[in-house]
Amino acid sequence: MSKYSIGEFEEIVLLTVAVLYENAYGITIKKEIEDRLERKVSVGAMRTALKRLEKKGFLESEFGEATAIRGGKRKRYFKVTVYGKRALDYVMSTRKQLWDAIPPMAFEFK
Amino acid sequence: MQDQQQKINPPKLALKFLRWFCSSDLIEDVEGDLLELFDERSSISYAHAKRRFILDVILLFRPGIIKNISYYSTSATMFQNHLITALRHIFRYKGYTTINLLGLVVGLASSILILTWVRDEIKMDTLHEKEVYKVWRNMYQSNGEIQTTEAIPQPLVEVLNNEYPQIDKVSTISAQTEILFRNGDETSFESGVYASADFFNIFNFNIIAGNGKNPLDDMYSLVLSKSMAERYFGDVKSAIGKTLMVNEQKQEFVVTAVVEDKNTNSAIKFDWMIPVEEYISRNDWIESWDNGGFYIYFSLKDGADISEVNARIEQEINKHTNTEVDERLITQSIKDTYLYSEFKNGVPVSGRIRYIKILSGIAIFLLVMACINFMNLATARSSRRAKEVGVRKVLGAQKELISQQFFVESFLLTFISVGLALVIVSLVLPYFNQLTNKELSLSLTDPEVLLSLAGITFIVGFLSGSYPAILLPTFGITDSLKGMIRGSKFNQTLRNTLVVFQFAMAIMLIIGTFVVMSQIDYILNKNLGLKKDNLLYFNMSEDYTGKEDAYRNKLMKFPQIKDVTFTSGNPVSYGRSTSSASWEGKSPDDMLEINVMITDAHFFSAMGTEMKEGRGFVEGRQTDKSTFVINEVAAKLIGFENPLDQKLSVWGIDGTIIGVVKDFHMNSLYEPIKPLIISNLPEYTNTAFIRIEGDLQEALYQIEKTSKEISPSYPFRYKFLDQEYAESYSNEIIIGTMIRIFAFIAIFISCLGLFGLSSYSADQRSKEIGIRKINGANTWGIVYLLSKNYSKLIIIAFVLASPIAYYFAKEWLENFTFHVDINYFIFFAAGMIAFLIGALTVSIKSYQAASVNPIKTLKSE
Repeated sequence: MSKYSIGEFEEIVLLTVAVLYENAYGITIKKEIEDRLERKVSVGAMRTALKRLEKKGFLESEFGEATAIRGGKRKRYFKVTVYGKRALDYVMSTRKQLWDAIPPMAFEFK
Repeated sequence: MQDQQQKINPPKLALKFLRWFCSSDLIEDVEGDLLELFDERSSISYAHAKRRFILDVILLFRPGIIKNISYYSTSATMFQNHLITALRHIFRYKGYTTINLLGLVVGLASSILILTWVRDEIKMDTLHEKEVYKVWRNMYQSNGEIQTTEAIPQPLVEVLNNEYPQIDKVSTISAQTEILFRNGDETSFESGVYASADFFNIFNFNIIAGNGKNPLDDMYSLVLSKSMAERYFGDVKSAIGKTLMVNEQKQEFVVTAVVEDKNTNSAIKFDWMIPVEEYISRNDWIESWDNGGFYIYFSLKDGADISEVNARIEQEINKHTNTEVDERLITQSIKDTYLYSEFKNGVPVSGRIRYIKILSGIAIFLLVMACINFMNLATARSSRRAKEVGVRKVLGAQKELISQQFFVESFLLTFISVGLALVIVSLVLPYFNQLTNKELSLSLTDPEVLLSLAGITFIVGFLSGSYPAILLPTFGITDSLKGMIRGSKFNQTLRNTLVVFQFAMAIMLIIGTFVVMSQIDYILNKNLGLKKDNLLYFNMSEDYTGKEDAYRNKLMKFPQIKDVTFTSGNPVSYGRSTSSASWEGKSPDDMLEINVMITDAHFFSAMGTEMKEGRGFVEGRQTDKSTFVINEVAAKLIGFENPLDQKLSVWGIDGTIIGVVKDFHMNSLYEPIKPLIISNLPEYTNTAFIRIEGDLQEALYQIEKTSKEISPSYPFRYKFLDQEYAESYSNEIIIGTMIRIFAFIAIFISCLGLFGLSSYSADQRSKEIGIRKINGANTWGIVYLLSKNYSKLIIIAFVLASPIAYYFAKEWLENFTFHVDINYFIFFAAGMIAFLIGALTVSIKSYQAASVNPIKTLKSE
């Protein structure tokens, strides 16, 4: 196993949190993924991913403001940690290595 | 304002559930997120938002989100312990688990399949937004019978539209017809309907391209199904605005819309739809109160009362016609039309609902049988668990806690089984769809499906866990610790009763299968009064008009072609009738529907019918043009002592009766044979029948060649009468196959249970067997000893099952006017099958136990 264990969906969530920068909370993350990747994301799946990421230390979170629409419940904003950034770097560099290692003939389709 | 009210009201129960299970450090913002989403979605549709909210909550119910289990105080710890015990138990006794799981999984998978089918059936035409009704016409015959038809006089539409304030929209729909489409040089027959412009305002059909509002506005517009559009134009989008030539009208029609044709959940099926006005403009006979036309549907205005419509609509036909004939109109909700389409005395009594009842019954049977297995094995093995129960009790467990433990076990197994069953269902579904000719699917995101699955899990878990959960905690502490628990007499009796019950169900299903199979066999092989084999037929295009004789003469030159005749329709599925036939002595008030078939002189020889008296038509004899042949039923109805040479008048043709033909079946075997008048007017025929003998390939080749010479622009299409006939009973055949498969599964499940029980008792009596063997018992004697009890049970089951099965079989068969007599051999065979399979199952295990070396069983203590 690698030192940063991160799943495909987790990676997407983590990247999305980074994309949203200061506005990353439950709904915006869900929408962003749905818009960009054109796939359905359930609140449940996303929540579990966020929780796991936080447990692994890739994310940190703090409560933000509450609104009437939310029934007075506060939002939880997420931020990528330094460790999370390193994990993303690691994922990208391993992918890059693999890409670089592909002999050009492999993609010559007839 | 009301909107505002709704917005802040997400489903309470779901919210409560979420708050109950959600971990405390997540609940605040998760709930906030859901509320925010709910608010956003409810701006589109409240119902949608509600559904999604519930779904989201259910999807959130997963590890990681659920509170840590220890959170729920000590009862949770106990729960955890029960779960672990259950799992250990499951893995420790693999054979026992396998039997339980296999039974449950097979039973559940079958039930889920059947229920998906049932759901699809009862959902038919229930998803239209408006309240839609269909009009039926009851014709009161002078012999006291009431005939019900869906062909309604077209002028009723005007009346409904103008005079009924309760009615919103009215639509006319034709029966499915096949017409020839041309696209360049390509031609092909497609089936569809004529419908009036309001069709899409009454029914919810999903228009995926083109004019979604009123695609049938123009007389020459054409609505296609998705599949037909793709076949002709490649894809849906590019079909819009294109034209297709319809052969009959010699007219081009413009495609205005394309409709989704899969999963429409409506019994109204079509590949094309053309405005009914176009048809009427070519057929003015339809605009008369005296003629039955198309089907009529209407939708009610919101809040309108159907009983007001019913009271008024009844006499509409009588009001507008001058005859003495009594015809009354009734309405039926479209939700019922698919399931209740058979009328008796003018009232809908049955229809497909019959099969839904049968199959739902089977689904419940199978589930109960699987539960019984579980119960039986659990109680049989209770002595093994006695020590465990004793220890738990000594340590202070109350009865409730012990029953909880067994419920946990049964629910866990059920839960696993449901999961496995779903996997099996998804694997089998494509084949099942092929069998049932449907497009069923099981979507786990559909709250209704999820809810019913949860329901099934709960019921099965509860049923199978209930008895052990009640029984086991009642053991006394000292006895159970000493291992003194002997299966009580009551348990033994209960177990036997359940086995009897199980086998009785299986035997009933086997008998049912045999009865259905023999009726289907009877239908397919019944002598219909005419020879339906080797008879090819097709609809003649207008090119044949006047060339019938030439066509016949050409064909008759080939040795493979025995006979050719032309008729006005398929004689084994005939529906052209009149009430205008008259004869001497008929009262003018009498309303008697009599079928009229138009043929030529070769009809009787080509069809292979037999004459009862008189003769058939003679070719070329001019005087035979005004003669009739009638069937026996008609002869009886007309009532002449000697029908020959009597006068008869049909459709304004006055003639004499020259013969009586022996009855042949013109409709399904559900109905009695109807009166028939056959007339000799070859120029009015439209269907050619060709009897073939010998080399089929050669005959087909010659027929096609000859047909192409006469009608080069039409594709040559033909059917075989016996195949068409079998096809018209495809429903019965499909249901028959389904019952057969599930009966097999039922016997499988029962045998699994029996196998489990017998292996357990063989296990328990291993010492006894050892001692018996030492004292000289032989293997077969022991097998007999161990099996006889179960064999007795199967015989009792048979005695119980037979009368019940007889009752239901009789009731089902009586739906057919023509049916097989119940053969008692069927019962005997079903009993023997159950007995042999059961005995075999028991003996396998018994034989194994009996052939063990007694030293092995006796040395261990």
